[in-house]
Amino acid sequence: MKSLGERVQQLTENAMKKSITRMNKEKFMLYAKSVPRNYSLVVMFTALSSKRQCAICRQAFDEFQIVANSFRYSQSFSNKLFFGLVDFDEASDVFQYMKVNAAPQIMHFPGKGKQKKGDVMDFGMYGLSAEAVAKWILERTEIQIRVFRPPNYSGSIAILILFVLVAGLLYLRRNNLDFLANKTMWGLACLGFMFAMISGQMWNHIRSPPFIHRNHQGNFGYIYGSSQGQLVLETYIVIGIYAAIVFGMILMIESGSNTSKTDVGKKKLQAVIGLALMAFFFSLLLSIFRSKSGGYPYSFLLK
Amino acid sequence: MRNKNPRKALNPRVKVVVYAKMASSTVSGGPGSYLNIKSVLFNPTGWRSLITFTVLALAWLAGFSSRLFSVIRFESIIHEFDPWFNYRSTAYMVKHGFYNFLNWFDDRAWYPLGRIVGGTVYPGLMITSGAIHHILHLLNIPIHIQEICVFLAPIFSGMTAIATYLLTKELWSNGAGLFAASFIAIVPGYISRSVAGSYDNEGIAIFALMFTYYLWVKSVKTGTTFWAAMAAFSYMYMVSAWGGYVFIINLVPLHVFVLLLMGRFSLRIYTAYTVFYIVGLIMSMQIPFVGFQPVRTSEHMAAAGVFVLLNVVGGLRYIQGFMSKAEFRYLAVFGSAIAAGVVFLGVVVLTYAGFIAPWSGRFYSLWDTGYAKLHIPIIASVSEHQPTTWFAFFFDLHILIAVFPVGVWYCIRYITDERVFIVLYALTATYFAGVMVRLMLTLTPVVCVLSGIAFSELFSVYMKDEDGKKHGDESNGDAADRNNKMYDKAGKVPKMKHEVAKEDAGTAGTGLGMNLRSIVVVAMLMMLLLFAVHCTWVTSHAYSSPSIIIATYSHDGTRHIIDDFREAYYWLWQNTPEDSRIMSWWDYGYQIAGMGNRTTLVDNNTWNNTHIALVGKAMASNESTAYPIMLSLGVDYVLVIFGGAIGYSGDDINKFLWMVRIAEGEWPTEVREKDYFTERGEYKVNNEATDIFLNCMMYKMCYYKFADHAVSFGAPRGYDRLRSTVIGNMDFDLKYLEEAYTTENWIVRIYKVKKPESFIRHRIPATKRVVKPRNFLKKGKKVGGKGVIKNRPSITKGKRPQKPMR
Repeated sequence: MKSLGERVQQLTENAMKKSITRMNKEKFMLYAKSVPRNYSLVVMFTALSSKRQCAICRQAFDEFQIVANSFRYSQSFSNKLFFGLVDFDEASDVFQYMKVNAAPQIMHFPGKGKQKKGDVMDFGMYGLSAEAVAKWILERTEIQIRVFRPPNYSGSIAILILFVLVAGLLYLRRNNLDFLANKTMWGLACLGFMFAMISGQMWNHIRSPPFIHRNHQGNFGYIYGSSQGQLVLETYIVIGIYAAIVFGMILMIESGSNTSKTDVGKKKLQAVIGLALMAFFFSLLLSIFRSKSGGYPYSFLLK
Repeated sequence: MRNKNPRKALNPRVKVVVYAKMASSTVSGGPGSYLNIKSVLFNPTGWRSLITFTVLALAWLAGFSSRLFSVIRFESIIHEFDPWFNYRSTAYMVKHGFYNFLNWFDDRAWYPLGRIVGGTVYPGLMITSGAIHHILHLLNIPIHIQEICVFLAPIFSGMTAIATYLLTKELWSNGAGLFAASFIAIVPGYISRSVAGSYDNEGIAIFALMFTYYLWVKSVKTGTTFWAAMAAFSYMYMVSAWGGYVFIINLVPLHVFVLLLMGRFSLRIYTAYTVFYIVGLIMSMQIPFVGFQPVRTSEHMAAAGVFVLLNVVGGLRYIQGFMSKAEFRYLAVFGSAIAAGVVFLGVVVLTYAGFIAPWSGRFYSLWDTGYAKLHIPIIASVSEHQPTTWFAFFFDLHILIAVFPVGVWYCIRYITDERVFIVLYALTATYFAGVMVRLMLTLTPVVCVLSGIAFSELFSVYMKDEDGKKHGDESNGDAADRNNKMYDKAGKVPKMKHEVAKEDAGTAGTGLGMNLRSIVVVAMLMMLLLFAVHCTWVTSHAYSSPSIIIATYSHDGTRHIIDDFREAYYWLWQNTPEDSRIMSWWDYGYQIAGMGNRTTLVDNNTWNNTHIALVGKAMASNESTAYPIMLSLGVDYVLVIFGGAIGYSGDDINKFLWMVRIAEGEWPTEVREKDYFTERGEYKVNNEATDIFLNCMMYKMCYYKFADHAVSFGAPRGYDRLRSTVIGNMDFDLKYLEEAYTTENWIVRIYKVKKPESFIRHRIPATKRVVKPRNFLKKGKKVGGKGVIKNRPSITKGKRPQKPMR
């Protein structure tokens, strides 16, 4: 049995090397279970090996590591708090000993006294993110960790690659840049962007609603029942409706202003199709709107 | 010069025929008299002006009257929260004069900090209504400033319609302009911020926005200094009116930048932008609140960058004339690369050195949409800063949202310099409106413009009069020719193939047949009719509540007015000392100052997060923790809004979690959001709630003596009607507070904070008191007391008369 001072020294040395100490049963008993302790130990129980196929473990581990690194390289780094990791494939006996039967889990071993109820982090309540872990640690140990995420370069790199690709393409086709003046292409791109925005894709991005709604009987609901929310599929339906209305209206205008002497029957057909598209889809949109709003009195063609 | 706009050249003539037809049928009532007014057709501009004028006047009238719902239902009153502050400052300005207003230090707000009002408001609104007040009084019309404030936004909505008309006319045609003006007059997306009584910056700012855009487009088209300077003047008015001016100063440079990319550089654009930028920059800096921001913050740097770029491009174009092609290419590549690099590095270095402030949080949250939620709870707490569902788009814009992409489509197909502008406006505005519900307001005008274009295109095709055309082969031909000359600038431009083809087809009509065309027109008119009805319905139901007076309807239709807010503020005004300080959540700060005329600690101008968090902490902690905070802030009264008695949903218990969150942001160890949730992580007021919540100030102030109040017949004791539960903590006493006033429906409850002196008193036993209680009632002879009849039992209220024992 090592003394308190030795243990702290060892842990500090480990922490200087790597912010998270990997533990087997022996180390776990030594650092987490032997008394007295004057430090807090935060241990993640997880199963990282690829054969376990635990996607969320990897994600949780990344967040956990961000917290540990933020602490390691922060001003407030001290020997009051250490981070540990127990992997199921390395130390399944620890899992049995602690009666942990689900991974991932984060446990706190307080410096003084026994573990309390809140010392197992509830992911359902806090969430998985590094900020949530830091907040939970603050509540448990009163050590504040400012989460510093290593800047995520993947986004910038993707943009850079895209930029290079576009520039390269332009350079290759420098002798024939007419396609840039293609108004149809630009028009379609603009319409696509606007449809995405006015159908509330930004809301989906921020609030991340379910794709489809399933009720108790197993029936699917495509439309969210109240005006406060929306489903992802619902917004796609709305995009389709908008596109149909716009297409119908353009057909109608073109059929009338198309002045080449094509046969009249074709033009008439075009106009009728345009009108039918616009009238039908507009009334469909209105009826979806009506079903969502409750108490809205007006409808057109469809109830 | 090539004619970039064949359509434009053609459109007015089509319009003329349509209008002339309309006018003839309205005036003389039949096709028979069509020939009689032929002479008028020779001068179609007269009819055009008359119809334009009539339509615009009607749009103004319709817009104005559909904004009056709340005035008719309730009374002429200022609405909601921010308008109360604007009204208070306007009243101050009218009373004390403009310069005193600019130097006004308001010690009635943000006690003990105070607020320099003159330097922290956009004064355009106050100046506008102050000027109207001044002019009317010069004309000896004695109108109170409140009436002007109430009716300012509806009046400006008509001016917005005219500005929209002008802009659309510049972009497309006269008819499209009239459509756009009629749309914007009644569209709910704009009415939501401009009903009578909603006296806020947006009411006049949308007018300024559209007018600036009109002048900008005009200056791009003409390339004259005059219009560019006019645009700068209008821009100054916009800067003085609303913080949204940042949208203009970024959109206009974006327009110029895209034009450069498209290779559409011309001296017109050079003149327009350089004049606009320099004059606009200098004038925008005259507004005290804006000050040096245009040269020192990142939001304005894009404009400066484009200014430099435009000058570099202009310079290169100039040099081009003196150099060989190879030399020039070399110079152009290096020159532009170096210029771009220098500008970029300069901005970065200056930002790091602190000369340029980085983007403000509010602005930043537009790009990184998760930002505000994580870092600035006070921004995330405002419901206007939420993203927008498709439902909200359709609710505010109805058919226009479905149709305006058609307008974008045609603007791109027949692109010109100024149509690039409207396309960019549409793209950016849809993005911003998607991120924040509040910015729907900037999207609304462009949607009206573009759907005006779409509808006008459609109607110009389907209302073209085939018979009239055939008829006109002999009778109308002359007029058509004249019109043609008029609008094509006397044949300067040779007709394009497209146009000639159209001319040919014109004689044959569209070939669609009378029936089909009438069906299409009728169907479209029905949809537009639905739009008009929808607008009225939405305005009446959703946007016309003053929110300080609430109307409820019982099932037999009788109306019941709930006027608790004004009752409480009136009580404060009449019954508290003039210098007393009221603590409440920041939502009610402006109302207390405006209606109660008392000092507040925090208000809707959320400039000091710590101060707000302090109030939040006081509300979230228990009485003994909160008392020192309240003493240190010098609080005399505390005001809470409570909806549990009648089921008013916007009360403080529902807002309470934001107070906790904002307080937690400042004191993470002392206030924790988690402590206010039940075991299962729910937010409840019943007996599952935690002790911390059941004993915090907010809970106690809301539910003090609530259990003794019968909310409705048959409800259990302590039943909260809003949250439909029985509350968890019913019988408790307040130690440091005492109830001062509760309004009729319990919506507003006011508590007095006890002074520390009242706790120093020890209880001295009666025997040790120096002044012994004397027996004032003298026995025997009574002087002037109430007479008693002998042998009659005296009756005390609430007690049974004691019957003699048998």
